[in-house]
Amino acid sequence: MAKAGARAPILELAGVTAGYGEIQVLWGIDMRVRAGEITALIGSNGAGKTTLMRTLSGLLPVRSGTYRAAGIDLSAARAETILRAGIVHVPEGRRLFGAMSVEDNLLMGAYLRRGGRGEIGRDLDRVFHIFPKLYERRTQAAATLSGGEQQMCAIGRGLMSAPTLLMIDELSLGLSPLLVEQLVAALRQLNAEGVSILLVEQDVTIALDLSHSAFVMDMGRIVRSGVSSELLSDPIIRDAYLGVIED
Amino acid sequence: MLAAQVLINALVLGCLYACIAIGFSLVWGVLNVINLAHGSFIVLGAYGAWWLYHAFGIAPWYALAIVAPLFFVFGYAIQRSILNQVIAAPVLVTLTMTFGLDLLLNNVMIYFFTADFRKLTLSPPVGSLSFGGVVVPVDRLIALVLALALTFALYVILRRSRTGRAIVAVRLDRDAATLMGVDVKSIYAIAFGIGAVMAGCAGVLMALIFPISPLVSTAYLTKAFVVCVLGGLGSVSGALAGGLLLALIEGVGSVLFGPALATTLSFVLLIVFLVVRPQGLMGRKGFE
Ligand SMILES: Nc1ncnc2c1ncn2[C@@H]1O[C@H](COP(=O)(O)OP(=O)(O)OP(=O)(O)O)[C@@H](O)[C@H]1O
Ligand SMILES: [Mg+2]
Repeated sequence: MAKAGARAPILELAGVTAGYGEIQVLWGIDMRVRAGEITALIGSNGAGKTTLMRTLSGLLPVRSGTYRAAGIDLSAARAETILRAGIVHVPEGRRLFGAMSVEDNLLMGAYLRRGGRGEIGRDLDRVFHIFPKLYERRTQAAATLSGGEQQMCAIGRGLMSAPTLLMIDELSLGLSPLLVEQLVAALRQLNAEGVSILLVEQDVTIALDLSHSAFVMDMGRIVRSGVSSELLSDPIIRDAYLGVIED
Repeated sequence: MLAAQVLINALVLGCLYACIAIGFSLVWGVLNVINLAHGSFIVLGAYGAWWLYHAFGIAPWYALAIVAPLFFVFGYAIQRSILNQVIAAPVLVTLTMTFGLDLLLNNVMIYFFTADFRKLTLSPPVGSLSFGGVVVPVDRLIALVLALALTFALYVILRRSRTGRAIVAVRLDRDAATLMGVDVKSIYAIAFGIGAVMAGCAGVLMALIFPISPLVSTAYLTKAFVVCVLGGLGSVSGALAGGLLLALIEGVGSVLFGPALATTLSFVLLIVFLVVRPQGLMGRKGFE
């Protein structure tokens, strides 16, 4: 499934550390994510996946090490700069603006874009095309959406930021298998259109099935990485992650 | 007939109360800052109207166009230079800051204008209209219309503009707003600036009707506070509902028990609301 290609890595981390106040969570992350791929990030609860995503999107500062995206150094960049570089974070728990309408949530995704009504309107149509449910509910407050619709709205909002890399934290959490299937299909479609995707996913089978390559995180470090299909058949991975999740 | 008069008075006063409270509510809701200087901002706006009228003959309804941008710059600068430095600190710190600001502003106003009451008197007077026994002074009518217009303008800004949406987004979820590329600190400054504009403009409208003195700033602050509690923090509709309710209670209360007890009555209601329905009439909303 992995595409061959010698493009510059869309993410390049070397020795990245980060944390909250006194607590250090990331202990030197090394990672190269290839452009054009779907990449999975897996690991048990508390491994630091969310913390890594928050660091990549600039919600947490990089304490040491370097973080580059498509060749640009973002180690000291603010969230705004990172977003302008096309790195977009769909956060854990969706974090929609509950009292705002679906459409206003989507427009918030385009906050930084000065493309004018035309360009933003076209992207809005694109999101409504991918998720027709959102079109039906566009005037409804986001808080009143079902869990699946909320996830669509969160992903749609991310798309409105015109991502080159879309980072999604917990795609399937709390969603029915049918919905997850729909979302997975949507992500494949987006990827085919050229959006790189970094996916944090509890369901390791889904994650490895969907992705080209994957990183395994434990206690704030990357402990394994490789081609997803190979990791899927790796007995150690099966034991550590698939066994636990399947029972 | 008395009932109709009381209702009309309450309508006028209620819209003014809403106008007084709305900036206070915005700042409280978005920044989590209780701006104790809000009452002094209002009085400053009233002096602005007084001065513009008596020095240059600029009528209060035109004065709004001058006061509004000045107050925006004033509020924006205060937030950028002072409050943003301590915004992450516990509420008590910002509360103390705005308390200090209030003392400062109030004393400066006493120094320049003295504590004496002065009244902006339009000449020639605009008179009053009467509808079958119900008398409405025209200046009050103008104040009512302008108060509604300002309130509606704020509603439209928050609802329809890009910056307005960002203000609401910051209020709802600061981290998520940051992920959208919103510069939270600058949104804070803009929100505080808008709060100051609403206070300054409310002051201009108050000057049309009531005597001006630095001493009334506390009364304005208290009204703003009560309106927020009655109507619920964080929405334009809440401020309107709270303002009308407060004016109605005061109006009916003063007919039944006399004006002195009317204010007391509104505080009793404040306490009842805090206990029974702390989210206010309209509940907590995203300020839309
Ligand atoms: N705001 C915070 N303050 C302090 N510590 C935190 C904070 N958020 C997370 N942590 C700690 O950082 C560690 C990593 O948490 P993180 O949320 O990154 O894990 P995760 O891999 O996303 O887990 P999960 O799969 O459960 O979402 C945990 O030990 C957690 O307790
Ligand atoms: Mg997580």
